Amino acid sequence: MTVIVVQQAINGVVVGSLYVLVALGLTLIYGVLVQINFAHADFVTIGAFAAYFLMHLIGANYLASIAVALLVGGLCGFLINAAVFTPLRSSRSELLPLIATIGVSVMLQNVMLAWLGPIPYAFETPYSNQVIRIAGIFLTWQSVIIIAVATTTIALLYAFMKFTFLGKAVRAVSQDRETAGLMGINANHLIMLTFVIASALAGMAGAMLAPVLVLTPFAGTSVIVKAFAIVIIGGFGNVEGTILAGLLVGLIESFTTQYLDPGLIDIVVFGLLLLMLAIKPTGLISERREENV
Amino acid sequence: MSESAAPLPPALVAGSTWSRRMSLLLAVLAIAILPLLLRDAYWRTNLIICAINVLLALGLDFILGYTGQLNLGHSAFYGLGAYASTLLVTQLGVPFWLAFIGGVALAGLAGTLLSLFAVRLRGHYLAIASLGFAVITYQILVNWIALTQGPLGIYGIKPPPPIVIGSVTLVDFHNLASFFYLVAGFALVAYLLLRQLVHSPIGEALTAIREDEVSAASLGINAAVWKVFAFGLGATIAGIAGAFYACFVGTLVPDAFSITESFSILSMVIVGGTGTLIGPVFGAILLTLLPEILRAIGDLRLVVYGASLTLVVLFMPGGLAQAVYLLRSRLGFRSRGGAAR
Repeated sequence: MTVIVVQQAINGVVVGSLYVLVALGLTLIYGVLVQINFAHADFVTIGAFAAYFLMHLIGANYLASIAVALLVGGLCGFLINAAVFTPLRSSRSELLPLIATIGVSVMLQNVMLAWLGPIPYAFETPYSNQVIRIAGIFLTWQSVIIIAVATTTIALLYAFMKFTFLGKAVRAVSQDRETAGLMGINANHLIMLTFVIASALAGMAGAMLAPVLVLTPFAGTSVIVKAFAIVIIGGFGNVEGTILAGLLVGLIESFTTQYLDPGLIDIVVFGLLLLMLAIKPTGLISERREENV
Repeated sequence: MSESAAPLPPALVAGSTWSRRMSLLLAVLAIAILPLLLRDAYWRTNLIICAINVLLALGLDFILGYTGQLNLGHSAFYGLGAYASTLLVTQLGVPFWLAFIGGVALAGLAGTLLSLFAVRLRGHYLAIASLGFAVITYQILVNWIALTQGPLGIYGIKPPPPIVIGSVTLVDFHNLASFFYLVAGFALVAYLLLRQLVHSPIGEALTAIREDEVSAASLGINAAVWKVFAFGLGATIAGIAGAFYACFVGTLVPDAFSITESFSILSMVIVGGTGTLIGPVFGAILLTLLPEILRAIGDLRLVVYGASLTLVVLFMPGGLAQAVYLLRSRLGFRSRGGAAR
């Protein structure tokens, strides 16, 4: 009994830490721009496919493929900011960029569908089958790598935001773009930097999520749904809240699978999100400005 | 969408009474003649799908274009109307039109409840909440197999019963032309009703809310009430579309009501031009027929939808309505009596 609970908790933390990477990207962008990139989760899919083809066509090392997925994700972020968010900045609209990126997401998914087909790809890494057993609990090397990479990345990101000049500048832009501009900070460059970092996290998460996901061109849809739930529960723009909420959603997912039914995951997660919105919608919004990290 | 959609001059939104009557006459004529011109089943089917999509686009446009609420859950109301009206007939043996009303009422009720719940939310938060509602509804349709048969689907749904007087069958809805007249008739009534609403004091209140909720409140407009009203009415119209869809196609599977469907309807509204009623009508027709015409290239329906959504937002945020207006003013045409708003 306890073994199962501990086992599921570990699985939940492993998946949850990847959701954290995806949701952190959304939250960072929301912090500097108060905008949502709906195609964010499709960068997860693109990262996953990039890693898949790198490993299967060239025979690249899995860890190297994760690094490439990170670069591919960053490139996607650069492109979407240049093509959609920068041109729409002058409209000062809250909803137009969201609507435009919904279009990008639909387009990306269906172009991938035409190209790659609807049949799920089996993404296997050499580490999935190497199991460590501690006191009845199984841990694959894959999980160890995920937790190590995710923790390192989150720690580096945290240090970057807290201690480097660029990170402080990003936070300054989040808090007050105009004042930051008066201090000689080029907001456009920092917004671009934020997009590249955020999307690189998504691409990298894709390469590590791929073995868990059903890897089809539509994989991003289920991920974006959970990422939204995480940023709402954690508070948009709030980094610590996002980390906690991401792990929580990972745990909910693994326990729902164990004790209820895998088909109910989205219902439980989004039910929690709606509950959260019902209890403290304004609380989340008012927290945003104070707690940008 | 307060600052977003390019505000269109009143001349485009409302013509003179005379030109309004002319365009109504043209619309009635077009609806009457089209199924007679297009006699094969393929094109008549497309006509019916057009009419259903017009209903969906009108409902969403009323919510998004007139109160600025980005509703990403339209597919859910569409699906609720379809499943509820069908299940009332197949599970409880309710007569068709009563089940129709039941399905439509459930969709409207769901929209009203979601809106009541979400009325404090705005912008992105409402978009995500409505998306959540759509995902939950879809998952329930997939997972409540005892009721909905899940992904296996419900088959053999019958069209509306024929209209019979004595022993003479006046209208048989197995006939595609009759079915088209039925749905297009509803779409026309919905359009006229919404137009009446938009040009009434209610419409002015809604527009005031869209432009600036705080100023509207200072004028004594209860924004919450009208936002809920618009949301409920838009969802009701989506329910009508759903009930017709079910008995037209004859088969229901949850995938017809996934969030992708919400995005398709959003494309029609944006491409046509939010905040005008006539724009989304043409947006729905264009985006229904265009992929059929392009079918030779392959099944690119959703690629077309996605691309047009993005490109229109980037280059012509007022959609077709704005394009037509720009074209007309460039050619020197001006509507008379344009200030009828």
